[in-house]
Amino acid sequence: MKGKVIKNIITTVGLPVLFGALIFTLWQTKVLHTLFKTDEIILPLPTRIGSIIGDNFTNMLPQIASTMIVALGGLILGSIFGYLIGVAGAVFKKWGMGGLTIVSAFNAIPLVALAPVINNWTRDLSSVVDIRSTVAKIITVTIFCTASMSVNAYRGLTEVKPFLEDLFASYGVGKFKMFFKLRLPNSLPYVFTALRVSVPACIIGAVVSEYFAEQVIGVGRQIRENIIKGQFPTAWAYITVACVMGILMYVILLIVEAIVLKNRRAR
Amino acid sequence: MKSKRVLAALLAASCLATSFTACSGDASSSSAAESSAASADASSSAAEGSSESTGLMSDEEIIKKASSENKVGNWGLGNEYEIQALLSKYGLPTDYITMDFTMDQIDKDTITLASAMTFNELGLIKNNYDGGYNYGDEIGVIDMNDQGVAMLEDNLFCTKEFAKNNPNTVKAFVAASMKGWTYACEHPDEAAEIVFKYGSSVSADHQKYMASEVAKLVTTDTKGKAVSASDVGKMDEDAMQQTLDLAKQYIKLDDATAADKLAKLTLDDIRSSDYLTYDGGAVEKSDLKVQLKWLPQAQFMGYYVALDKGYYKDNGLNVEIVSGGGDVSETVAVSNGTVDFGVTWVSNLINANAGGMELLEVAQVYQRSGLVLCYKKSQFTK
Repeated sequence: MKGKVIKNIITTVGLPVLFGALIFTLWQTKVLHTLFKTDEIILPLPTRIGSIIGDNFTNMLPQIASTMIVALGGLILGSIFGYLIGVAGAVFKKWGMGGLTIVSAFNAIPLVALAPVINNWTRDLSSVVDIRSTVAKIITVTIFCTASMSVNAYRGLTEVKPFLEDLFASYGVGKFKMFFKLRLPNSLPYVFTALRVSVPACIIGAVVSEYFAEQVIGVGRQIRENIIKGQFPTAWAYITVACVMGILMYVILLIVEAIVLKNRRAR
Repeated sequence: MKSKRVLAALLAASCLATSFTACSGDASSSSAAESSAASADASSSAAEGSSESTGLMSDEEIIKKASSENKVGNWGLGNEYEIQALLSKYGLPTDYITMDFTMDQIDKDTITLASAMTFNELGLIKNNYDGGYNYGDEIGVIDMNDQGVAMLEDNLFCTKEFAKNNPNTVKAFVAASMKGWTYACEHPDEAAEIVFKYGSSVSADHQKYMASEVAKLVTTDTKGKAVSASDVGKMDEDAMQQTLDLAKQYIKLDDATAADKLAKLTLDDIRSSDYLTYDGGAVEKSDLKVQLKWLPQAQFMGYYVALDKGYYKDNGLNVEIVSGGGDVSETVAVSNGTVDFGVTWVSNLINANAGGMELLEVAQVYQRSGLVLCYKKSQFTK
């Protein structure tokens, strides 16, 4: 048993870390540059990127905070909204599937098309640019995060083991109670499946929505500005920051998932 | 029965999807339409209810009011330095709102002081063509040249290495290009037609408006003096120095190495006037590509005229014009050798060299800044 756990840790943690270290070494020793026929201007060395992050970390904090607010705001709203759609679909079975198909169609709209359109929509919302721009960005991320949650919530709420349904029915449990006692708990693992998709997606959504925003702030905005201005080391520094943000959120999600679902599995 | 329901759902979904693509399509077509607006007779299209210039605020008052309301607009991405210099000149914070590539924001008053290029956006907001905004003389203008914060824009550049290894090629290319520019400025209407023929991003009418405005930028300097046809492409020492000084002041770099390099840059690091005259020497490389800063339009008419009139061929060159647009970075394209020459703003070149590229300006086509701030006069009456 113990040996298996150690083996598990090696494969799930050790190998990715080893792979990362390999890439880092190839990058720092410029083997990557030769391989991809590029130069240090386009692909600066990791140490240089690191030193830029170190030098500017306090300046980066407001950018990170802005992106984080948009990403989390969109994630929370999108997840709640998506779950409610899933519930509606499960309750009103007749048009449930149809509604979900429409939501999935929403998900197919490219983010780069969505962001400018929403910018236009929200223009009359407020005369204060910070407010309307933040709202526009959050709406974009919300739409981006809704679909996976609604589809997964619907599955979690409806794909209940038939014998359990029969059992509940045989006890004479009403539909309402069955929903709260059986369907809702059953959907929990599915919620985490959805979050595994939408947590990284919300960072991507926030970064891209900043490209088109009226406000001149955010990690994504800095990436775009610096690339166009030819400041690739700084752009890479912000790309790294965005990656770290995504990874940290994902790790937090995995920890929460392990805690929440642990008791269920044991049972 | 079930299949019918699925079918209905699919139908509904596809309806929604198409209505959405139509919506986003609208957005892009309106930006295309914005470009296709504008006419050469902006003044004759004159809006009604203008000309109450008596109650109008001064430029300084207008700038201060717009800034205090946080309604100054610019595109960012390296186009913001002149605006920031202007705001600083009046002791104001350098914040601005990002403009998209339409003039909707000033139209809807979410921005009251909007950036515009004289040859493009200014024509769109004033003129009455389909897709234009038809404000006519209701629009007032604050000129960066008059305000003393002009930075030079469209130039011609290559890498230092390319210039060193192919001096005759560079000279031949510059000479043919400037011949094209001279002809284009003398015959803007014909130049506009030539550009249109080579795949224009905007309408023929807007192309003509643009050509006439661009000609003014090429043949007038920052102080309003005329530049003679033989001097097209020259580098005005004072204007170049002012551009570099303002760039050093307003380009903010997080990268300490780049910031250090920027502070030490001199004019000799970014430009050389050695390539402005061509004495007919054999060219080292004949197949050339030039990367434009934006979509094909009269902003770049000199190159299209040189191509169309065979000026490049006369100098033994086979030139391909590569259009830009969106997030295409002309400095990167030249730096990594995808193309041989590029057209960019001097500030972009300064930025790129600070970032580690080795680029060299070989001709300065625009002799004055084409950037203005425009506003609705009705927003700034006393």
